[in-house]
Amino acid sequence: MTTQVSIQNTINIRRQQGHDKANLLLQIWLVTWRSLTTIFRTPVALFPPLAISIFFLVIYESTLGGAAAFIPNLSGNSYLGFILPLSIVSSSLSGAGIAAQNMVRDIESGYFDKLLLTPISRAALLLGPILAGALILGIQASIVIGVALIMGLESATGFAGLLLVVGLAILLGTGFAGFTVSAALGSGSAAATQGASFIFFPLTFLTASFVPLELLDGWLKTAATFNPITYVLEAMRATLNSGWDAALIWQGVGACLLLGTAMFALAIFALRVRTRRS
Amino acid sequence: MSNREIKVQNLMKQYSGGVTAVDDVSFSVNSGEIFGFLGPNGAGKSTTIKILTTLALPSGGQATVGGYDVVHEADLVRRIAGVALQDIGLDPLMKSMELLSMQAQLFGATRQQAKTRASELIELVRLTDAVDRRVGTYSGGMRRRLDLALALVHKPDILFLDEPTTGLDPASRRDVWEEVRRLNKELGMTIFLTTQYLEEADELAERIAIIDKGKIAKRGSPAQLKAAVGKESINLAFDSRELAEKARAELSDMADNIQTDRDMVRLYMSQAAQTIPAVVNRLQAAQLNPISLTLTQPTLDDVFLQVTGQRINAEEEKEAAKVG
Repeated sequence: MTTQVSIQNTINIRRQQGHDKANLLLQIWLVTWRSLTTIFRTPVALFPPLAISIFFLVIYESTLGGAAAFIPNLSGNSYLGFILPLSIVSSSLSGAGIAAQNMVRDIESGYFDKLLLTPISRAALLLGPILAGALILGIQASIVIGVALIMGLESATGFAGLLLVVGLAILLGTGFAGFTVSAALGSGSAAATQGASFIFFPLTFLTASFVPLELLDGWLKTAATFNPITYVLEAMRATLNSGWDAALIWQGVGACLLLGTAMFALAIFALRVRTRRS
Repeated sequence: MSNREIKVQNLMKQYSGGVTAVDDVSFSVNSGEIFGFLGPNGAGKSTTIKILTTLALPSGGQATVGGYDVVHEADLVRRIAGVALQDIGLDPLMKSMELLSMQAQLFGATRQQAKTRASELIELVRLTDAVDRRVGTYSGGMRRRLDLALALVHKPDILFLDEPTTGLDPASRRDVWEEVRRLNKELGMTIFLTTQYLEEADELAERIAIIDKGKIAKRGSPAQLKAAVGKESINLAFDSRELAEKARAELSDMADNIQTDRDMVRLYMSQAAQTIPAVVNRLQAAQLNPISLTLTQPTLDDVFLQVTGQRINAEEEKEAAKVG
């Protein structure tokens, strides 16, 4: 009897020390790797968003590029460097969409519940698809930049500046993903998640999309002032067109962090609601 | 040996809207036992299993799995319990090896250990041939087998199987039964099994509880439950009603009760199987040759009917009728 009890205690101690459960970093890596695997097994889903980003870039540049000389404050700067950030921001949106679609697919297939039955941390469940989405959008943004380079883009801050632009895109996309993943967790439905992802689409136009902020007027200017995308665009544009501007860069990073914090709070709340053992 | 018991005391589950899914249910499952939990659709089977596997919280009462409280020690319950739910949750884009080794790593195995364990399990559930295919291409039976393998990744002490053979063809069903028995016998796993198939409970479970409208209506071993319903019978069919009547007269002292129905004679008694030779001898001596002889034993279906007032598969039959 005594032996039995002591063996039981050893097992209890072993379990309580967490020896039969992966550490958090490994969990996050496993779930992210799994998301990436499934994303790359449906490559068709990756092309349309990428194609649209490149399409916007080419169309805006060819239709508006010629008029750029008439836009004050933009003279001397290439319009390509001005419009490229808009195209990249739209690829951030699609990265967020990918994260959410991944999540919703797991909820619909029941695999999400299967993971809940393992000792996985809730943070890993949330971060896996978001990190996978972030990585994908980083690749997409890089490809879009590559196309812009072919079209004649010259970065005022060189390669480091391009990296910063990709970094900002990832940061912004991660914030968006907090929102779209919340929608996935809240609705558990692919259609509803897709719908929710579109909410951000107008935001890319309620900003200094085609002309600098100073040229906006009235309600649009007010909207743009409160739109975090405005500051991300400005940081990217300055980096590409005029050179390092610490103040603008910090504004851009700050806007991303602000958006990200709010959206992650929402996502954590949505996750708690979904996994609440009611 | 670790504690592999399940203890449930006065378990309650009320959903908002006042629906009581589980109403003051108590039972316990011993270490190393196969326990069958039976009930019609909506009786509270799935809710009970969800509470025991930490997916849902009870509204009242207590439950421990392997000595761990399902409410306050959910994380520990998850580490010793394996669960194969009725709705199989498998990612159709992944391959079986990937799902298994990832699950093993989540339970703390190293990469190498996880690979080894995954290969073992794939062999165990005989998916070796399908190992390079995506789960989305699997048949229903294969998916169920993979799901069972996933539930076994961390060598659980206690295995919960929620309707493990629903939707399987008879051959696959037999395979699952064999596997369940083997896990129970060789590894001493406690197995908590819900099912709609009485045959399955009869085949596997040492003890059974029947749940109806959220309450435990009956419990005992399959044999006890069947014995409580009624007696066995030997059924003899003859060429004509006259022959049947003659046979009845001839055999009158051998059964507790005899009924004739046209050319059929039914002899009700306990231990009918052992009486068959004597019945046959007597008939031969009287030169009465039956055209058929069958033995009827009360089935769990009869128990079920008596307890719940409905045939367990009534729903399914209705469905089948609709399709047919």
